[in-house]
Amino acid sequence: MRTRTAVVPVSSVTLRDISVAFDGVPALADVSLSVEEGEFFTLVGPSGCGKTTTLRTIAGFTSPDTGAVSIGGEDVVGLPPEDRNVGIVFQNYALFPHMNVRENVAYGLRYREPPGEVSTEQRVAELLDIVDMAGMGDRDPEELSGGQQQRIALARALAPGPDVLLLDEPLSALDARLRERLRVVIRDLQQDLGITTIYVTHDQAEALAISDRVAVIADGCVEQVGPPEAIYREPATRFVAEFVGDNNLLEGAVVSADPPRVGLDPASDGTFGQTIPVDGVSGVGREVTVSIRPESVSIADGDAGQSVDAAGSITLQATVSTAEFMGDIYRVHCEWQGRELLAKTDADEPPSGTVVLSFDREDVTLLEEP
Amino acid sequence: MRTTRWVERAALPAGFLATLATLLVVFYYPVGTVLSESVREAGRLTLDPLFAVLTDPFYTGVAHHLFVDPLGVPAGVLDWIAAGFPPVALGRFGFTAYQAALSTVASVLLGLPGAYILARYEFRGRRTLRSLTIVPFVLPSIMVAVGFLAMFGRTGLLNDLLGVVGLGPVELTFTLQLIVLAHAFYNAPLVTRLVATAWESVDRRQVETARAMGASRLGAFRDVVLPALLPALLTASLLTFVFTFMSFPIVLALGGLKLATVEVWIYARVQALDLSEAATLATIETVLSLALTYLYLRYEARQRSASGAGQHLPRKPLTIGWDTLRSPVRLAITGYGIIVAVVFIGPLLSLLIESVTTPDGTFTTAYYEFLLAQQASTAAGTTRPLPAIINSLVYGAGTLLLAVPMGVVVAVVATRGGRGSRLAEALLTAPLAVSGIVVGLGLLQTFVFGTVLFGYRITIAGPVAIVFAHAAAAYPFVTRNVAPALGGLDPRFRDAARSLGASRLRALIEIELPLVATAVLAGAAFAFAISIGEFDSTVLLAEGVDSYTMPVALERYVGNRSLGPNLGPATAMGTVLLFITSLSFVAIDRLGGRWEP
Repeated sequence: MRTRTAVVPVSSVTLRDISVAFDGVPALADVSLSVEEGEFFTLVGPSGCGKTTTLRTIAGFTSPDTGAVSIGGEDVVGLPPEDRNVGIVFQNYALFPHMNVRENVAYGLRYREPPGEVSTEQRVAELLDIVDMAGMGDRDPEELSGGQQQRIALARALAPGPDVLLLDEPLSALDARLRERLRVVIRDLQQDLGITTIYVTHDQAEALAISDRVAVIADGCVEQVGPPEAIYREPATRFVAEFVGDNNLLEGAVVSADPPRVGLDPASDGTFGQTIPVDGVSGVGREVTVSIRPESVSIADGDAGQSVDAAGSITLQATVSTAEFMGDIYRVHCEWQGRELLAKTDADEPPSGTVVLSFDREDVTLLEEP
Repeated sequence: MRTTRWVERAALPAGFLATLATLLVVFYYPVGTVLSESVREAGRLTLDPLFAVLTDPFYTGVAHHLFVDPLGVPAGVLDWIAAGFPPVALGRFGFTAYQAALSTVASVLLGLPGAYILARYEFRGRRTLRSLTIVPFVLPSIMVAVGFLAMFGRTGLLNDLLGVVGLGPVELTFTLQLIVLAHAFYNAPLVTRLVATAWESVDRRQVETARAMGASRLGAFRDVVLPALLPALLTASLLTFVFTFMSFPIVLALGGLKLATVEVWIYARVQALDLSEAATLATIETVLSLALTYLYLRYEARQRSASGAGQHLPRKPLTIGWDTLRSPVRLAITGYGIIVAVVFIGPLLSLLIESVTTPDGTFTTAYYEFLLAQQASTAAGTTRPLPAIINSLVYGAGTLLLAVPMGVVVAVVATRGGRGSRLAEALLTAPLAVSGIVVGLGLLQTFVFGTVLFGYRITIAGPVAIVFAHAAAAYPFVTRNVAPALGGLDPRFRDAARSLGASRLRALIEIELPLVATAVLAGAAFAFAISIGEFDSTVLLAEGVDSYTMPVALERYVGNRSLGPNLGPATAMGTVLLFITSLSFVAIDRLGGRWEP
């Protein structure tokens, strides 16, 4: 399966200030993205956020109202899809039901020369081999399982040697276990071929698992672009912090810039539930939001009161409302000052009653937006 | 490579433009000529011909006062009320509307129980019965008329049977009742089909929710089911009214000039070579039917979004062993079934029986021999069966050649959305609203008699004009089969093909059309059947030439009394026509054709 095929051209994709509206309703607003050659780049966001529209704009199915799209440095705005050398795989695979597997994979070769001076038959055999479907050429698509159909769709998209591979929620129709297995297949294949790949998904875990870089999209705007680790650990906006993984978001206000302190959970009388150190804050009185990942919050029985120690370790006094057993851990929903905080623990027994939640100042992330 | 690309990109818009141009030439220009004829006299614009018709009590009956003395109308109405609603003269237009209204009521009465049974009961043959409801659309109406004569006529099956038990004869020929019954034969299945579809789309969960919230069985029906049925019923009624308002062969054969509707009268005027009065009548009729069709479309557009996917109501078994005999509803259904059998099977069966029996009930092959003798005759003006059959098949093939590409192109444009799709919708419904007589008259007055277009004198032969008229009538059936299939196709098939390098046209030819091939074939079968059965425009265009078709030959045999006062030759010819249209129906059904107007 890991045979490297003949030269596959790699290409970068750039979107500059793309805006798209459908019947006057904006779908994308000034989206700019730059995908590097050979990169695995993922667009993630909730349904209706514009990620598929972005993909369709790159493929040429949607023409942007404003902005520029370039593939491999060439401006492609105005070029119909058939004149852009991209391969696309859809969620439902869209295998042509009136053609068998071989004819499906060979379809693009009617219009485009396969890379590396090979015949259509050789190219089809090569691709079927790559996706581990050798010998299945005579089957009809309907005879294949969902996972097999997905592999054929991938082979079909790759057969003409596209500059860019576009994947539109390719795994969403599959069950969870198969999805996890196939995403590894896709990632390995992409690494072997070195093809620039843009992947669309609504599943943030999938995005983190598979990508070189991730763009989080919401309401037609790019919220944050970065490697998965950065997206997870340093969410730039409140939306990213909430959308990617579990998170605790706390509103507060800057009470002092030096030392940097944020008062959490402001009350109407100007008091705070707790004041904690947050690195990098400025502008006393400014309203801010901070986030703390549940896995950074440790939970212990007891009644130790609230404090911030010299090393910057913060403890909060809370009560457990419910604990969900997840198999490997408990997700513990706690109540602190009338709001919910989430913690995770791998204890054998679920915590209950009054507990102490503690976390370090390094685990507190300041979000850009209030 | 570049030129091919360019050609492929231009092909679809060019196809649509070609379709538009064809329709312009074979439909809009002729029809427009008829309409403009009615407001012109000796080359100048005038409303005189229109007024002459509207103020003539023969045409407009009591309504002519509206145009003669509009101010006197309120007083006239009061006088009429004071006199205790005495019968008023309806005129041709009034009578046409009156018989259409009666026919609509009859169609609803006959069709509605069928919808109930198809939607709510499960029984063997239900699906077959359901697909049989499209049969009337492919049965040539002149043949059905002959069937009704064969059953209810003076020497028909009914009187034969009554004679056996020493009763009768009853005279039903040339009565309004028989016309209304024949119209119900055509339109009751439409009511059944549309209402049953609406009934099946009622989500059982809605009914169950209503019941769970305390509604009685009847209450849930009133609150949930009925609101879903009424729009479909109204749609079906409006369509039935439009169809029967413009009905021609049924009225011609079963009513004659005594019970002539506007359509029949237009035909009579054309035969009397009074083309200008025919054009005036055609204009008024077309305006009325366009208004009705507009009403129908406005109404239909509003209700289209109402249907939703869901679980349909569970069907009850129709037969429950011996208990069936104790269930009043099921006994009533049995009674209904007998009526349906008489109305729908009776005429067709009578056609077959009467074609091989003499008036006194003995077996005969005389009528088929008569057809053979006609075939062998060398006398001028003889209507020979074989040319009629060949002509019908040739025109049918010609219609396919025109109507299928036109229908497919319009379907592609209609499913693409945007301004083009609205235009396509409008194009589709125009042939529905304009009667075949008007199209035939228009073609006669323009291309057949010769017309000057852009400085060139153009004359086309009758057969070509017939194919034009058939294509204009038939292509909407192609579109109505292909458009839903194309619309239901996942757009990502096309997207996938295009991203693999196929142009829009290539994706259509290589991916989309093969995937909707059955719908295209079904549409083609429909178009063929429409052509085979078309009478209204053909009878005008085939006048005096040897381009008569089977339905036209059939009509000529109806008037033929060479074998005594019976229908023999017509029933024999009708049987031949029935056989050929049955083949079309089998083809349509095999291919899953649909006709949801």
